[in-house]
Amino acid sequence: MIVTRRAWLVAMAIVLTAMSPAFAQQQFNWQQAKGSQLRVMLNKHPWQGAIEPHLKEFEALTGVKLVTEVYPEDQFRAKVLVELTSGASSIDVFMSMPAQEGLKYMRAGWLQPVDEFLKNPALTAPDYNWNDFLEKTRDAMVIEGKIVGVPIQVENASLMYRKDVFQKYNVKVPTTLEELEAAAKALNGKAMTDDGQPGYGIVARGKRAAATSTFAAYLHAMGSTWLGPNREPMFNNEDGVKALDLYGRLLRQYGPPGSENNHWYEASSIFSQGKSAMYTDSNALFPVIEDPQKSKVIGKVGYALFPRGPKGQYGSTVAVWGLAMPKTSQNQKAAWLFMQWATAKEQVLAVQSEKGVLGARDSVWKDAKGLSKVPADLRESLTVGSKVGTPLWNPPVVAVAECRDAIGAAIVVSIQGGDVRAADNKAAADVKRIMAETEKK
Amino acid sequence: MPVFTGPSVLAVTLLMAFPVAYTLYMSAHSWFASSLTSPQFVGLGNFRRAFVEDDRFRNALWLTVYFTGLATLLQLMLGVAIALVLNRPFRGKGLVRSIFLLPMVATPVAIALVWMMMYNPTLGVMNYLVGLVGLGPYKWVSNAAVVVPALVIVDTWEWTPLITLITLAGLATLPIEPYESALIDGASSAQMFWRITLPLLRPTIIVALLFRAIDCLKTFDIIYVMTQGGPGFASETLNVYTFQVGLFYFHIGYASSLLVILFALVLGVSLLLIKVRRGAW
Repeated sequence: MIVTRRAWLVAMAIVLTAMSPAFAQQQFNWQQAKGSQLRVMLNKHPWQGAIEPHLKEFEALTGVKLVTEVYPEDQFRAKVLVELTSGASSIDVFMSMPAQEGLKYMRAGWLQPVDEFLKNPALTAPDYNWNDFLEKTRDAMVIEGKIVGVPIQVENASLMYRKDVFQKYNVKVPTTLEELEAAAKALNGKAMTDDGQPGYGIVARGKRAAATSTFAAYLHAMGSTWLGPNREPMFNNEDGVKALDLYGRLLRQYGPPGSENNHWYEASSIFSQGKSAMYTDSNALFPVIEDPQKSKVIGKVGYALFPRGPKGQYGSTVAVWGLAMPKTSQNQKAAWLFMQWATAKEQVLAVQSEKGVLGARDSVWKDAKGLSKVPADLRESLTVGSKVGTPLWNPPVVAVAECRDAIGAAIVVSIQGGDVRAADNKAAADVKRIMAETEKK
Repeated sequence: MPVFTGPSVLAVTLLMAFPVAYTLYMSAHSWFASSLTSPQFVGLGNFRRAFVEDDRFRNALWLTVYFTGLATLLQLMLGVAIALVLNRPFRGKGLVRSIFLLPMVATPVAIALVWMMMYNPTLGVMNYLVGLVGLGPYKWVSNAAVVVPALVIVDTWEWTPLITLITLAGLATLPIEPYESALIDGASSAQMFWRITLPLLRPTIIVALLFRAIDCLKTFDIIYVMTQGGPGFASETLNVYTFQVGLFYFHIGYASSLLVILFALVLGVSLLLIKVRRGAW
């Protein structure tokens, strides 16, 4: 009796899940904003390059016309900021990294949260499935409790390592920070280039502000974070100082000379020239490392989850590019349709399988097609990292650029072998002052 | 007549006087371009903050003076020496002169990128070159202690020709009589250089110095491209810092006051040099 009832329920559930999306798909009205026009601001970025050929499909589906503008990153940020500051912007959708500008834009009242759009079945297709986005990529789009946009691309601080070198010298691939240092020490100075030249144990960014993005992973793995519960700096606590000390020590003792001036392009070129055994940075750099034109380590690199801390904490950062909508947009319904379409499974799968853009949807990573342009083992560092990691690759403050410089200065001191604790305390004092100045109500 | 000068007076007012006046006005305010609050009047607060609280500013001020002093001194000595050599008659002089002026006409950003590659501690050619004479290896622009001299070398490579050019022009106008009488009096060539050539060239050299000093005080391109003020803040001059404050932190008020300070510095140095040019050596 019970068995049959359960079986009946299961059958019912199967029928419902199988049918309802298709059924609702027909119901969902993609044409509801037909005839309107959207001004979309895009940053020059692999996602923008991959989605552009598909934009016509959106126009055909919805009858909404898209006017896109593309700018290189620095100009892009300045352009969006200036327009939003003016209060008379005609932007309808723009690419945004909430961890970079989210809090500033939110407090300024420029962002239109999309919570209500997501909940509304008349505006959101039933098969959109918000929960399909990897857990922390959803968190990364939340600012002060509101969802400020949808993720289009995700990247994680991760460990890239030379599989051949680790095998040759019989070293275990690090899964903890302790093993990371041991491996860096063991492999530093060992022969690893094509012509048998020695290389370094590890390479990473050391340039002031740029280094903070990678340092964030060490900080969180060590068990610290940027700000405490009352928004006071806490990255200078015991664990924080340990993380800062480790970062500097690794680069000073087992890294290339001059790390203090290395941004990701210097660091990644040292690694792709075969001159380092390990590289901690964003896994979205894989196209640089696997570039047949420039790289000498194609196929030799493993992509691993960022090593865990002494208490098992995860360090992976979850850096997300998303699409956001300004409050001033006059076409919010159409703008939401575009945001929704661009991040629906079909499009995420398309850009990931065609151009290797790292999507944030779990289902796409489970789809064999979604893995075709991405190194096989990158899947783990991304999907696991984006579930257990932290969206805080930046300190969650209004004046992100200024705080990154203050923290970056301490990282440089640590690489140079200076007084780490003093530098960390100074950075904390600076961050406190900057926050007091820029976050006063 | 005033009617015809009218448009240009208007243009100058709009394009030069207004921005300067507005910068002065902003320098007395606290304003973040990104916030919704309007500028708040803080009087001399920004200047107090710069000189009393902001160690990054004091560091930048010192580095500006250090960079300018070192660069102008080096360029002056090299530039005048090269001009004296090029002023002598020799075969292919015209060609050598033209080649020598090439660094000056190259694009600063391109120059900076090339030097950046040469300075690379792992892959660059500079460590090989200094290695030939038993020095190094250095970390060049990645070493806090070496970064300013390393940048001065780039600036010197680029701008020494300007001093040479101006000095050559000065040399061409020197009268011949003092040398004739000196020869008759039995002066050595060293004496002629120190007692005749240099004093006569002084006004010319000071003009060249003035150009270079003003330019060095506000050098931006090569520093920004090569180090962005790093490592840490070890090459962050006043201009680079101001750019950061204004266009990355969007602290427009404070950036304006920093610009006023830079303006005062440039003006002060210029007035000093002009005074030296007019007065006794």
